[in-house]
Amino acid sequence: MFDFFGRIKHQRHSDILWLDLGDLGDLVNPDGPHEQWQDHGLGLLRTILHQNDIQTDILSTRAVRSWPELRKLLPGYRIMLMNVRSYTYPSGLKAAQLFKEVNPEGLVMAGGMHATVALDEMEAIAAFDKICQGPGEEVIVDLVRNPAQFPRVFLGKGARSMADWPAIDRTLWPKPASRHLKRTFNWPLEPECGWGPAPVATILTSRVCPWQCVFCNESSYIPNMGRRPVDMVIDELNYLDRMHGPLGSVVIHDSMFFQNPSWLEEWLEKYPRRANKVWPYWAAARSDTVRQWPELYEALVRETNWDTVSIGFESGSDRILRLLNKECTEDDNLFTIELTNRIGDDLERQGKQPPRFWANIMLGIPGELPEDAFKTLRMLKTMKRVFPSISFYAPYPGSALGNQLIAEGKSLMSKDNYHRFPDDEKVAGVDYGFYRELLAGKYDHEINRGLEEYQTRDINFAEALTKA
Amino acid sequence: MSSFSNPHYMYLFDLKNGKKKLAYGASPEAALDILNIRLTAEEMAEIIPERYQKIRQRELQKYVHLLG
Repeated sequence: MFDFFGRIKHQRHSDILWLDLGDLGDLVNPDGPHEQWQDHGLGLLRTILHQNDIQTDILSTRAVRSWPELRKLLPGYRIMLMNVRSYTYPSGLKAAQLFKEVNPEGLVMAGGMHATVALDEMEAIAAFDKICQGPGEEVIVDLVRNPAQFPRVFLGKGARSMADWPAIDRTLWPKPASRHLKRTFNWPLEPECGWGPAPVATILTSRVCPWQCVFCNESSYIPNMGRRPVDMVIDELNYLDRMHGPLGSVVIHDSMFFQNPSWLEEWLEKYPRRANKVWPYWAAARSDTVRQWPELYEALVRETNWDTVSIGFESGSDRILRLLNKECTEDDNLFTIELTNRIGDDLERQGKQPPRFWANIMLGIPGELPEDAFKTLRMLKTMKRVFPSISFYAPYPGSALGNQLIAEGKSLMSKDNYHRFPDDEKVAGVDYGFYRELLAGKYDHEINRGLEEYQTRDINFAEALTKA
Repeated sequence: MSSFSNPHYMYLFDLKNGKKKLAYGASPEAALDILNIRLTAEEMAEIIPERYQKIRQRELQKYVHLLG
């Protein structure tokens, strides 16, 4: 499986290649756990191809250390398929150009979110022979069988419901590409990342967050789709546990797990009863949905082992929450923090694992004042158990605010630096020096001075009842 | 302001240079207030407040080329 130098050996079975994208070396000697996560789009589409008797080989830019190393593996392929996201676009572009150098008659077929949100960039690159906008699960078989029947740019078609998706054959995902990583990866499951015990199963139960936060706007691209039935989700986890486990924990990688109360109530009823084990899991909510359905939230945390609650708090300031069109308030955020702190204290008293936040925080939002940022860090300090995930706001093309800032000439991002390095400077006019000093602790005195007032302010909890 | 009690909408305001400015909020007035958080007085002065259209998020991509 590995050569003398510890590199993975590539065996050919097909003249169709799927190229997994990411930073060079992330499956050899990764910087962190999240770089090792697998691509569900790739897994789903390769599963569909293989179930339709179209065999494909897999290579990954993450599994090689250099572009020449990848180049040597490309000759002879007739088709190369890629799922391109904005932050993998630089590696997708480079790989497409290399592929065409060694296979001038070969076809590069690319889809994925970047093809949808930044079509003009991909259209300008001759190396992309076919570009699919939107979901591809209903067209990929025909595309690979009959590429000539498709124009260069075309609209894909998705399933009406996630119930129509096959369970991903996870053995079609790329393998860890070093002996060292193979020992800790748990392939075809995924490695531990600090959220729960290994091996980890990542899974999707829903697609698309319907809210309109202007740093994302994913629902402006992806049509509504029925949620995967609760029983199918549990069956898949039980299968993974039997075949590849025992599972340690689950990451429910939905953009927004805590939506659709009837589905959540069914999950609450069936997951503890039907799953081989009530594995702890990571999943996402919004602070206003927690405030809307607090009893359901509390029951899920307590009874289904939802022990890492990802919330896009983004900011502790109403001014900035409005600017982000988050449609959540400072009070919603504080309500969620206090409720989760209280549940955590109670579970801890019972000797049980308390829930922790994975708190997504944005700084460097154009228009943000120092006092807004201080309020955000005060909010973070009120969370008793938290993994902070802080990044500078990034004006991605395709998002409402990103599009607007690009049109105003204020974006510092380009197709060469779409990478998600959280501390890159991304918007003209933002004082990144201030934020670096803020994160280094220079303003801790200022932040702490207002902390008591922030923590003890009077929230109108009754409002939650009237909204429910 | 929460999505359950006070839903937001998207608006395209005409600019004096013929382009459009994307804004969002519970009303056109609220959307202009939100724009005012990040734009300079000169940039705000380019907006024609009474000339706007309400758009659906799902149709956002149709208007990107008009933005300025």
